[in-house]
Amino acid sequence: MNGLHGIIFSYEKEPGLRELVEHRMPASIPFGGRYRIVDFMLSNMHNAGITDVGVVLHGNYQSLLDHVGNGKTWDMSRKYGGLRMLPPFASNRRYQSEEFRGKMEALAGVRSYLEEIRQDYVVLADSDLIINIPLTKVYEAHLLSGADITCVCTPHYRETEDATFFQLGKDNKVVKTLCDPKKPEGYHCLEIYVLRKELLLKLVDDCAAEEKVSFRRDVLNGMLDALDVRGYVWEGLAAQIRTLKEYYDRSMELLNPAPYLELFAPGRPILAKEDDEAPTYLAPGSKVVNSLIADGCIIEGTVENSILFPGVRIGKGTSVKNSVIFKGVQIEEDASVSYIIADKYVQIRRGGTLTGHENYPMAISKNTVI
Amino acid sequence: MKKECIAMLLAGGQGSRLYVLTENMAKPAVPFGGKFRIIDFPLSNCTNAGIDTVGVLTQYRPLELNSYIGSGQPWDLDRDNGGVHILPPYQSATGASWYKGTANAIYQNIGFVDMYDPDYVVVLSGDHIYKMDYADMVAQHKRAGAACTISVMEVPWSEASRFGIMSVDGEDNITEFAEKPKEPKSNLASMGIYVFSWSKMREYLIADENDPASDNDFGKNIIPAMLGKGEKMIAYRFAGYWKDVGTLDSLWDANMDMLATGSGLDLLERDWPIYGRSISAPPAFLGKESCVEHSVIARGCIVGGKAENSVLSVSSVIEEGASVEYSILMPGAVVKKGAQVSYAIIGENTVVGENASIGALPDGKEGWGITVVGPETKVPDGYILAANHMLSKNMKEVAR
Repeated sequence: MNGLHGIIFSYEKEPGLRELVEHRMPASIPFGGRYRIVDFMLSNMHNAGITDVGVVLHGNYQSLLDHVGNGKTWDMSRKYGGLRMLPPFASNRRYQSEEFRGKMEALAGVRSYLEEIRQDYVVLADSDLIINIPLTKVYEAHLLSGADITCVCTPHYRETEDATFFQLGKDNKVVKTLCDPKKPEGYHCLEIYVLRKELLLKLVDDCAAEEKVSFRRDVLNGMLDALDVRGYVWEGLAAQIRTLKEYYDRSMELLNPAPYLELFAPGRPILAKEDDEAPTYLAPGSKVVNSLIADGCIIEGTVENSILFPGVRIGKGTSVKNSVIFKGVQIEEDASVSYIIADKYVQIRRGGTLTGHENYPMAISKNTVI
Repeated sequence: MKKECIAMLLAGGQGSRLYVLTENMAKPAVPFGGKFRIIDFPLSNCTNAGIDTVGVLTQYRPLELNSYIGSGQPWDLDRDNGGVHILPPYQSATGASWYKGTANAIYQNIGFVDMYDPDYVVVLSGDHIYKMDYADMVAQHKRAGAACTISVMEVPWSEASRFGIMSVDGEDNITEFAEKPKEPKSNLASMGIYVFSWSKMREYLIADENDPASDNDFGKNIIPAMLGKGEKMIAYRFAGYWKDVGTLDSLWDANMDMLATGSGLDLLERDWPIYGRSISAPPAFLGKESCVEHSVIARGCIVGGKAENSVLSVSSVIEEGASVEYSILMPGAVVKKGAQVSYAIIGENTVVGENASIGALPDGKEGWGITVVGPETKVPDGYILAANHMLSKNMKEVAR
């Protein structure tokens, strides 16, 4: 049995994602043409041989439940263990109505689950992170260093809302943690943590006793003197998705071969629920360049610098540029759209014109008819 | 355990007329339509028609097929009671033998069928591309009180002599059956899809087995025997898209039918979905310099070059400066820089080396035909494979 257990957090509402979180948690926002954001972390865990994962939930999680189902996609539909969805447990009434204020409070809400974990080590991760990282390497580094907590961080900071930074000393020891500083400095923390299950339980209890709720403020910062916290420096691609602008920019990055090939490395596949769509049909007279195209689309118009999810229809004479078009969207004939993010099942009628801006892409809510 | 109706899918054929494509796999496992395999069609038809118990009779090179079918989950056929079962020939107390023919394959599995005690058995084959509601066919069979119902479709008179031809009376009772007749009396061709009342079928299978002269084949032996004894046999008329993909030309044609809007083959229509085993690949990437015209493109494809009138299957690659036209790239096929592929089928995971040239345009001359490169083949840089030729993994080149 693998020594690692996964915990994924999905409780932050991230209002900066605007229309995209009207109907769902950030974890289940479609990304990259056929995935949901949470698929990346679930696949990272699967690729590291992890079979037992708990997803800590709060808020509007119906879409997330529909998407992950029984975890079969990630081979986590197991007789013992497997994937468990963890809304706040009824016995912990205090967590039922309010939002979680931090990871430690969220973990306290599912304490009885944590006790039952069969593995000695736990990896904690957020569900808003786009990354393809070999977690086994992080785990090995953790065992080798003898640290209490190992935190994945990157020297390549890209603008992220509410980011956390580390200053690393000798042997990558975390010497300082900065939460949401005015000026970014040091290593950007990607909020993937590896630690012993026993330590995690102790930290949950200690924090609960003192009404402390935050992992980064109360544990990483507050207990830095008592704990050996190390950074694991990740040089590869990583993106936290917390605002609409971040969502759009990180999506558009995939239109370059290098990030596409890194994120979708065949050796560590990102797995998504099967959409059962036939391949896409490019009709005579259509034109598609520099774009990601999922299955099940029928394209009769022009598509440039865009990402199309499954089952999209693009009519004759229509032009789609610099846009992200979610599943089942229909754009009829002679329409023109640019810099838009069209949520699921949006319909844009014949001749419609919609233009956002590179710095302010226009997001269109699910099911809207224009 | 009783089921009103189960299906038996004949998937043991070698598919020798697909040559290099079936050297290492059975015909039903051959990729089709960008992300499917031929067997996805009968399996999806079963699940869409509400038939939840399917026996798959395998014999030739079953490895690929067995692992593809697995638990049957992609077709929703992983059931506690029923589901999909792989049925290879097996050893019994009285000895062991290969399946001698289509009828013998089912004869050897009478025990399997009896387990479900069905009233009706649907017999299917694993080499046809079509969407059909078997439940409707079974309903007609029940209404008519038939012993056997055979699905038929009208074919052009000029082609009738290539098929098994049924003659019928005014109420679609089958009066005569002729296998590839020189002078056809009807243009109703058998599609190789049968519904039998199990008690009758069982009787005829046992009688057929006891006849040492028999080829143990449905078309050659069972159907004529039932007709001869005056059993009630009815034609079920089918009018949709149906194609036997048992030859390289018909396999190419059927793939190309996905591009022809009038062909009737519409896999994007959602009322009758075709399911296949899930493939983890990202969306297709069409690069800055790519030019893909009138084609079908599946997930995982990376296109830097040019494609026209082609089927680009899952995870196939066309590099910069390469061009593919009127061709089928099977899953994982790679066409390297500067290579040309025309009127060809490129097998699974085959790599066409830089500046190689595979196949050629039909220029009106006699003798042009589809060029085929078998799966897992490494075609060297600059290699030239002429039209109407085949190349296999061990670099053996033959004219078709």
